[in-house]
Amino acid sequence: MSKELEKAGLTVAIVSAMFPVAEQVRAHRIVKGVSIPHPCGDPSLSPELDARLRREIVQTALKALETEVKEPTVFSPNMP
Amino acid sequence: MTTVVHVLNQFFAGFGGEEKADMPVAVIEGTAGAARGLQVQLGEPGQIVCTIYYGDNYFHEHKDEALKALLEAVRSRQPQVVVAGPAFNSGRYGMSCVEICNEIAKTLAIPCVTAMHEENPGVGSYRDFANPNVYCLRTAESTAGMADALKALAKFALRLARGETIGPAAKEGYIGRGIRRLEKAERRGVDRAIDMLLKKIHHEPFETEIPMEVWDDVSPAPALSQINERKLAVVTTSGVVPWGNPDRFKTYRNTHWQKYNIAEVKELEPGKWEAVHGGYNVAYMNKNPHYGVPLDALRSLEAEGKIGGGKLYPAYYVIPGNQGSPAVMRRVGQEIGSDLRNEGVEGVLFVAT
Repeated sequence: MSKELEKAGLTVAIVSAMFPVAEQVRAHRIVKGVSIPHPCGDPSLSPELDARLRREIVQTALKALETEVKEPTVFSPNMP
Repeated sequence: MTTVVHVLNQFFAGFGGEEKADMPVAVIEGTAGAARGLQVQLGEPGQIVCTIYYGDNYFHEHKDEALKALLEAVRSRQPQVVVAGPAFNSGRYGMSCVEICNEIAKTLAIPCVTAMHEENPGVGSYRDFANPNVYCLRTAESTAGMADALKALAKFALRLARGETIGPAAKEGYIGRGIRRLEKAERRGVDRAIDMLLKKIHHEPFETEIPMEVWDDVSPAPALSQINERKLAVVTTSGVVPWGNPDRFKTYRNTHWQKYNIAEVKELEPGKWEAVHGGYNVAYMNKNPHYGVPLDALRSLEAEGKIGGGKLYPAYYVIPGNQGSPAVMRRVGQEIGSDLRNEGVEGVLFVAT
């Protein structure tokens, strides 16, 4: 699906815990998600740290959108 | 003696071309058009009891009625096997052959075989249905391959009618639909895997036991400079939807997408949103929908000017991705992509579960 969005001319950052799959299907800007049932955050953290992590993930995605890539590239947010 | 029903479109049944594409389902006792050729190939052991035909457009414009009439005609004849096509590279015909076979196999438990060119869009539906009682054989692109196609169909139909075990696609030559069957191997999985790995390391040919879907390649979209001036949107396969699931998404195999308004929404409160998805435990997402649609983070970045004011598209797009077939997800991606473009969006945050 994300590749069809790219085909339509959109720049896409995909947040996924299954980033090897995203790489395999050759999505180009891949952001490491925390886990499959909660890609954008970590419920084992306190609500404050969880929210901070989510911001970090979204900021990493923005950085990915700003970055020129030639091949599937994985961007890793700073996880606590 | 094997009894066979042959299903054809109006053209191959000999009733005319595009001007006759609106004709409803009809039945001829015995053979007509291409069915005569199939009867020749079946020879003594097989008999076509009737030929069922329909207009190419009629089928797609009156699908429920058409399928009902077809099922009724087949049910009353109780054949041992149904043959549809060959459809070569005719899209409408190929699609109808596949849908008819699937319906007959599903409802009447009669094995079916059809045939078409590998690039016929019907092949995508055939793979999606993955009906173990429906087989699709490869044909040439055009009717130049008619004789070969009828010969192959006749042979395969007789085998199906006899209840013969049909082996894997690669051995039998039909088009694979991704059904994996258990089989007993001589050697343990770990030994076979190491063999494969060694062959791979030595650049020798090897055959995987789990073939993966082949993906087409797209060149990377350009980077977005000055991201805070770009219009962005969220798309997700997490299945986060308004509480109560107003658009009746299923937990698997969805075929449609939705966008939900977040223009006035600062954060997604639990109890107002829920996750519909059969492929992961939705408990975390229900407690905090931001795990799928990180709106809280986006709003705080917006407040700081890292995302431009009003640059976050006021709705997010969603389809629960569980068991979505590649063909459906491609179509959904195309539809969402074109909607985003029309709305002037440039960058997408895609959250996949």
